Amino acid sequence: MKHLVSVYLLIVLLAMALPLQAAGLDDKVIEHSYPNGLKLLMVERHTSPTVAAWIRFKVGSVNERSDERGVAHMLEHMLFKGTKTLGTTDYAAEKPLLDKIETTAQRMMAEQAKGAKADAATVQRLEQKLAEQEKQAEKYVVKDEFFDLYARNGGVGYNAFTAKDGTTYLISLPSNKLELWAAIESDRMRDPVLREFYTERAVVMEERRRSYDAEPSAKLWETFLAACYQAHPYGQPTIGWMSDIRFLSRTKAERFLHRFYAPNNAIIAVVGDIQPQQVIALVGRYFGNIPPGTPVPPVTVQEEPQRGERRIEVIGDAEPEVLIGFHKTALGAKDDEVFDVISAILGQGRTARLYRSLVIQKQLATDVSTFTAPGNLYPNLFLLAATPRAPHTAAEVEQALLAEVERLKKEPVTPHELQQVLNTLEYEEVRQMGTNSGLARNLTEYEATAGSWRFLTSYRAKVKKVTPADIQRVATAWFTRTNRTVGILTKNGNGRAHQ
Amino acid sequence: MRSWLLALWLLLCASLTNVAAAGLANPRSMTFPPLAYTIPRSERVLLANGTPVYLLQDHELPIVTVAAMIHTGSVYDPAKKSGLAAMTGSVMRDGGTVSLTPHQLDAELEFMASSVESSFGTDSGTVTMTTLTRNLPRTLELFNEVLFRPRFDAQRLEVARRQALEAIRRQNDDPKALADRELVRAIYRGHPLGQVPTATTIEAITRSDLIAFHQRFVRPDNLIITVSGDFDRNRMLSQLNRTIGSVHPSTPLRLPAVAQVRTTDKAEILYADKDINQTVIRLGHLGITKDNPDLYAVRVLDFILGGSFTSRLMMEIRTNLGLAYNVGSDFEIGRRFTGTFTAETETRADSTTRVIGLMTGIIARIRTEPVSEQELTLAKDAIINSFLFGFTTPASIVMQQARLEFYGYAPDYLDRYRERIAAVTRADVLRVARNYLHPEAFKLVVVGDAKRFDRPLTSIGTVHELAVP
Repeated sequence: MKHLVSVYLLIVLLAMALPLQAAGLDDKVIEHSYPNGLKLLMVERHTSPTVAAWIRFKVGSVNERSDERGVAHMLEHMLFKGTKTLGTTDYAAEKPLLDKIETTAQRMMAEQAKGAKADAATVQRLEQKLAEQEKQAEKYVVKDEFFDLYARNGGVGYNAFTAKDGTTYLISLPSNKLELWAAIESDRMRDPVLREFYTERAVVMEERRRSYDAEPSAKLWETFLAACYQAHPYGQPTIGWMSDIRFLSRTKAERFLHRFYAPNNAIIAVVGDIQPQQVIALVGRYFGNIPPGTPVPPVTVQEEPQRGERRIEVIGDAEPEVLIGFHKTALGAKDDEVFDVISAILGQGRTARLYRSLVIQKQLATDVSTFTAPGNLYPNLFLLAATPRAPHTAAEVEQALLAEVERLKKEPVTPHELQQVLNTLEYEEVRQMGTNSGLARNLTEYEATAGSWRFLTSYRAKVKKVTPADIQRVATAWFTRTNRTVGILTKNGNGRAHQ
Repeated sequence: MRSWLLALWLLLCASLTNVAAAGLANPRSMTFPPLAYTIPRSERVLLANGTPVYLLQDHELPIVTVAAMIHTGSVYDPAKKSGLAAMTGSVMRDGGTVSLTPHQLDAELEFMASSVESSFGTDSGTVTMTTLTRNLPRTLELFNEVLFRPRFDAQRLEVARRQALEAIRRQNDDPKALADRELVRAIYRGHPLGQVPTATTIEAITRSDLIAFHQRFVRPDNLIITVSGDFDRNRMLSQLNRTIGSVHPSTPLRLPAVAQVRTTDKAEILYADKDINQTVIRLGHLGITKDNPDLYAVRVLDFILGGSFTSRLMMEIRTNLGLAYNVGSDFEIGRRFTGTFTAETETRADSTTRVIGLMTGIIARIRTEPVSEQELTLAKDAIINSFLFGFTTPASIVMQQARLEFYGYAPDYLDRYRERIAAVTRADVLRVARNYLHPEAFKLVVVGDAKRFDRPLTSIGTVHELAVP
């Protein structure tokens, strides 16, 4: 306890000693840690009387077991449904109804789990009962009360997103309303109630149909990722497969919730028109007595080294797309920044090699890009994507992409190319400080995945050390045929996908 | 480590709980310190040749943003060359300048990490630049080159043309994009705003068309400049006067006349066949322009009907019935031409006609009885209290103010916006709902697999099937 208090004081003193016109982010971020494990990051900016507040939980779909795929995303939806005091007119009266709903849902899913042997009449009867019970419980529900409270107070961008490595809840408010955020969000962290679960589950199924089933390029992406990862959960869709969603229950969701959604797994960033000392006190007052939960355990399963090229095809009602992925290191691992330099040289801007070669010179593609996905915490993928231009085929585009990758191994990149990467990073370092939300995003993201937001400010120095020889070495080691997966979206001949 | 943390927490908790309990406010009833907000002012200056410049200095970060807003757009596309404005906007930047080849321009900008981008929309065009302060003089020169001395490199034009043709080949791949486009075509049928480029019109565009289009519209007496960020006012003005302010067009500005949109009240049902398990539904008709005094009541109506997470459409179709993930409606306020009212959702194939019925029913109902006092208050509070988010960066502040002049808004539009929203009554909302919502005249676009629908679309009305290759 003494230790923590002294850390607190040190930070306070440090913050007060800062020059008023500090230049870089290093001097602008104020950190505070609470005894229950909650971490708070702040930047004071008075450009407008607004504030962005982001809460990131260090738990995402990568932490799901195989029988709860999709639950992190489902919880993201459910945590908008209120608490024991908000979103309800009378929780004591509502609770027995919620329990009845869950009993019916469990019986329904038990029957549905029998698959072809399920009794259709029983399923139908239970479905109907479930709908009736949810309707009954509705009389106690104050629909989307969080949203209305934020909206009437001028909140904008009230949202949440679930990724492989984390889940984030965000809002921007006029700066005089920050206490509203603290009150709502601390209540949501302490006492969430997952009401309207099964109706919301239907909404998530619609989200899945909209974002994957009816979107061929997203279907390619989902199928491609599943092919890249045989063991590691980075291969499973964040939203879950449709059959996963059909068997998500409130019981499963609450189990996941109570395990992980606690202050010691959370990082808060508050950026904007604030007085940091007041925010430290405010957050302490509202969040300080929420008990810590289980620290999110690291995912221990590792992807086995790939033993040969994998190829997948998705046939859809859409023109072709090409994806090539190579397994690579996690964020912050040795050499990881080399992949970022390669990504920039191949894919960033109009002077990038792939754009010059495939789009301008050979005109094989209308669009090319390079990126890293699907998460940052565990070894991920270096990806190349391209949109072929008719009459050129996916095969031609694939060859042209790979030719540029091979070139990286054979000839060193130029110092000019490296300097351009550094110049762009310098600009990005400045630009990211231009909006409250962008800064809050970066602070929470890198604090969670790199272990510290200081990754943002130390990164350019790391990149500066990358040499042309490093690029050749890394390209040779990782961009091999055996370490590669290729995904192609192919248009069905008659324009309709196979049934 | 963990038990240590827990023990420590328990220890502290005992002393914190009482204090905490005393200081926590209820979100339903909590009050806040007042926040008086006035919009920061940018400065308006005329260059030597009369071109207006809006300036706002902000030295927080060493970045400068400059933009030109140009009166142009696809409404001026000849029907046979639909796509000309968009192509001019893109090749103006991609095609280099008189003094630099396309690659030289790209290389010089990207090495400085500066950007110059241009794009022409339906009724306006923009050329914008951003740069680190130390590269401001050179980036501003390149911005000026792109603006007034583009090369329209023939080879880059061909690249752009081929990209446009490929985009047309792909324009039906995403069923939502397909439905959006067909709805706009249906609403604006017969007007340039309803024109969509085809392979034939893209093939018909020549380099001299681009040059002529550029010459006709991109001239100092047809644009407004905005400057924001970390610059020195006097130096900036003298450089702008040297470049833009010294250009005097030899011919008077003559913008071609474009007719106002004509309203029709003919309902239509358009269907496109796609092998998908979720149907895309879009519907709507013409809306209003910014000059309509009912604008404020329409904004409030919009929020209540389909513009928020607790709007009527969202509440019923998503939250209560679980029939959609995305559902909403939107009055897009026309600036020069009449805007639109559109509503959209996607739902599983076997609830298609049910959801169409729900949407039209919810829209029809808001025309029959006044909204509740709670709905009205929530909408007005939300619009008024979030107003300041339109002004969170120097670039957005200066742009908002320049837009008033660019589109001919009343000069007090922004200053009086909140009080005019505050004055809207339930009777106003009912009146504008009756005036500007006409379910009997909806153009309805449905993209999906009719075989899987709950009822045939013909049960709603006469269906016209769109040919989707």
